[in-house]
Amino acid sequence: MESDTQLVQLCLRGDDSAWEELVRRHARRVYGLCYRFTSSRHEAEDLSQEVFLRVFKTLGSYSAVHGGFATWMTSLTRNLLIDHYRRTKRDRMTDSMDDAMPELEEKPAAGRRPDQIAQLGELSRQVQQALGKLSPDLREAVILRDLQGLDYQEIQAVLQVPEGTVKSRINRGRIELARVLEQMGIRPQ
Amino acid sequence: MTEDKLSDYLDGLLDAEDRAAFEAHRDGCVACATLAARVSGTVQKLHTLPAIEEPRQLVDAILDATLGPREAKASWRSWVRWLRPVWQPQFAYGALTVLVTLGVVSHALGVRWNTQTLAELSPAAIARNVNRHAHLAYARSSRFVSDLRIVYEIQSRLRPETEPQPEPVQPPAPGQTNGPAPREPHDMNRVNQKSHEFAETAVLLEALIQRRLP
Repeated sequence: MESDTQLVQLCLRGDDSAWEELVRRHARRVYGLCYRFTSSRHEAEDLSQEVFLRVFKTLGSYSAVHGGFATWMTSLTRNLLIDHYRRTKRDRMTDSMDDAMPELEEKPAAGRRPDQIAQLGELSRQVQQALGKLSPDLREAVILRDLQGLDYQEIQAVLQVPEGTVKSRINRGRIELARVLEQMGIRPQ
Repeated sequence: MTEDKLSDYLDGLLDAEDRAAFEAHRDGCVACATLAARVSGTVQKLHTLPAIEEPRQLVDAILDATLGPREAKASWRSWVRWLRPVWQPQFAYGALTVLVTLGVVSHALGVRWNTQTLAELSPAAIARNVNRHAHLAYARSSRFVSDLRIVYEIQSRLRPETEPQPEPVQPPAPGQTNGPAPREPHDMNRVNQKSHEFAETAVLLEALIQRRLP
């Protein structure tokens, strides 16, 4: 299986199947990041398309020297999300979307019983609701670290902030999320 | 101090000395121990959450938007894409219900699919068949109602008479005796009436038998 960098090189030579493979490989991660940030299925879908369109247009500017393709793509996604957040800030203030319980479509984990899947689905909805109450800085830090699984260096590359700021945001984001979840009556087992 | 180092501790980023100092402080401070347990539990919960599945059409939409409509280059899957909604269990259940209903209705109309020829499927032949079966069904039902009426009539005639309710006892008129009224003419009338009814019933039964015989 080709690496992301090899697929990018093939894409730049006009190989459509390589681009299709890149899209299939990263669509879930990009969509998940957009959904966790916006709490809206439609917005996440539109933003994911926008991300891939921008990646397609700027693929030539990607260089492995600046980090992995996934990190570069996450950084681009994050920038679009921040733009989208600023663009829709006024709408959110009037709609109070944060109070709406989001609906999630999650990949059912293999080997889990139906009751466990249902419990995880409920927990995921509650976490999503709690994430909506965090400030954008803390929210994106927690999503990238604990839901997308990026390490501190990757998050630093995505957010373009010093390492100390990354650590501080992750730490404050986790504490704040735990506090919000406790207010919602969800305690760690 | 514990709060600042909490994520470093949970992510295993503290060296041995800092880790030991963190744990020593946490073990002696109820507030810090509670906070550490709460945040640690939250992080563990986050790590158990499955990935969110993207919508099915997302990849196709992205590829269409970037590479252009790919219908010409699409594989055999594009030919059966329209079947996706048909594969749903709800559609299968609805289709089965419609098929069963059609079977029941066609059976009631006398349509026999195993003996159906191509000529019988022309609109004129179908209309003629439907008309014929509708008339047959009407004739059968009117005959059934007529038979039913005769049967009920026979049943009502054979049913024993209900006992007459005793009339309220009137106080005897002045000068009237308490002796029973003469009953002989009344009984005779009743016998005559019964024999007349039996004769009518026999006629009805004979008519019914003749209707049933081919």
